[in-house]
Amino acid sequence: MSSVLERLDRLPRRNLTVLAIKGLSTLVPGGWHNITRADDLIADVLGSSDPELIRQVRSRADVLSRARHEGYGRALSLYDAVNRSQKAAGGLRLLANIGGALPLVKRVADLTPTSETLQAADLSLKVAAEMLAFTQVNGLPGDSFGDFAAALGEYAGEARVRMAALICFDALLPLGDQALQRLDGLLGGVGKQDLHQLPAYAGMARLLPGRGDGAHLTFLRRSLEPWLDWAGGFISQLGLTGQKAVQALEGTLGPWQGSFQQMATFLDAFTDTYQHTGVQAVARRLVERAAAEI
Amino acid sequence: MARLLRWGVGLLLVVSLSIGAFLFLPFRSWLPGGTVADVPLSQVVNGTAFNRLFPESQDGDQLVFTQEKRGFSEARLKHDGQVMALLAISDVATAPEARSKFDASQSRVQGWPLVEQGAQASALLVADRFQIKVIGQGEGLDPEQRHDLLGRFDLKGLAALQGAA
Repeated sequence: MSSVLERLDRLPRRNLTVLAIKGLSTLVPGGWHNITRADDLIADVLGSSDPELIRQVRSRADVLSRARHEGYGRALSLYDAVNRSQKAAGGLRLLANIGGALPLVKRVADLTPTSETLQAADLSLKVAAEMLAFTQVNGLPGDSFGDFAAALGEYAGEARVRMAALICFDALLPLGDQALQRLDGLLGGVGKQDLHQLPAYAGMARLLPGRGDGAHLTFLRRSLEPWLDWAGGFISQLGLTGQKAVQALEGTLGPWQGSFQQMATFLDAFTDTYQHTGVQAVARRLVERAAAEI
Repeated sequence: MARLLRWGVGLLLVVSLSIGAFLFLPFRSWLPGGTVADVPLSQVVNGTAFNRLFPESQDGDQLVFTQEKRGFSEARLKHDGQVMALLAISDVATAPEARSKFDASQSRVQGWPLVEQGAQASALLVADRFQIKVIGQGEGLDPEQRHDLLGRFDLKGLAALQGAA
């Protein structure tokens, strides 16, 4: 298995994923810088470009990311699982979109889960993956719940573009501008069968606390609650809407004439935004630790 | 012959079951390689013990804890929402090579050796066991500010942790 920094070095510098995030980042103050070189990241954290120091940080970071107990690798496998699921679901829905026009494959269209319930379940899985990855990477920082909430806020603030992408691509575009208000109702309709239709669930089930689908569903709903509060504030602060997201994306991807749902499907099938920004977020935390330990 | 075959099949079954169990059951956490540098967790001081030793935040400054693991705790010092510095305490039990840079140290903070690493990082080794580090972020801090921050950690409390491990 490759280490976190190797994964960072292999991230694309310019492709559809990068363009999509670049486009969306125009909505977020502070913007987004696509760091894909571990040495640049280390120099940025350390405030020094001394090659000997960078080499030390790098080898320490590799030791840390190889240690399973430290959770950095586990966080990445969470992001991978979610990404695989997103691609699979996106591909199916894309097929359904095209297939709707062709009689032969029309049956496929009838079979694919396009329902909003599934979309809501997918979003809640992503948010839960985010929470789990946070505790894997950062532990439980501080001595009190207040400290923990502050740490969570700090993490979300650092990953503003990442969160904006999650909100726009997985909530506002497929579910509409009232996505957050509707989510609670939609999740109420999620059954155990729906959960099993999501490919990511199989990969994440053993990492979710509690035994059985019922307990997992409860966990998903509970972890969504604090996130919904935070995301609601974030949306109104930046004034995010599906319309604005599409306009921002058109800036880098070119004109778009389909519906918002089709845009969401297209992004699900062809981009890896969640994984891309996830690797960058984990790598930064890992380097911050390695720089402190050399 | 039939008996030999039965024994063979039985043996094959046992071997494949034990290999399968080894590969698929969650034994992995017991294997070596799970911890940093293969040092057992019990020999490393837990990061929870470090949290209360961080400097008290002064006027306008805010301390946000960001990571806490076995043998490590890190916080950000923020001023008006801007990150000024990363503050961290780590147990060098998992990184013995980190000690060697203090051998050549000339300066001291409260009697403990001090080392500069590059333009923005200062490190202090307490009780030959715990490393405190201050790394300036953004606009950065000058060395005096970093040394002042290092001195504001509870160094006595940290040195006292050595026996606890």
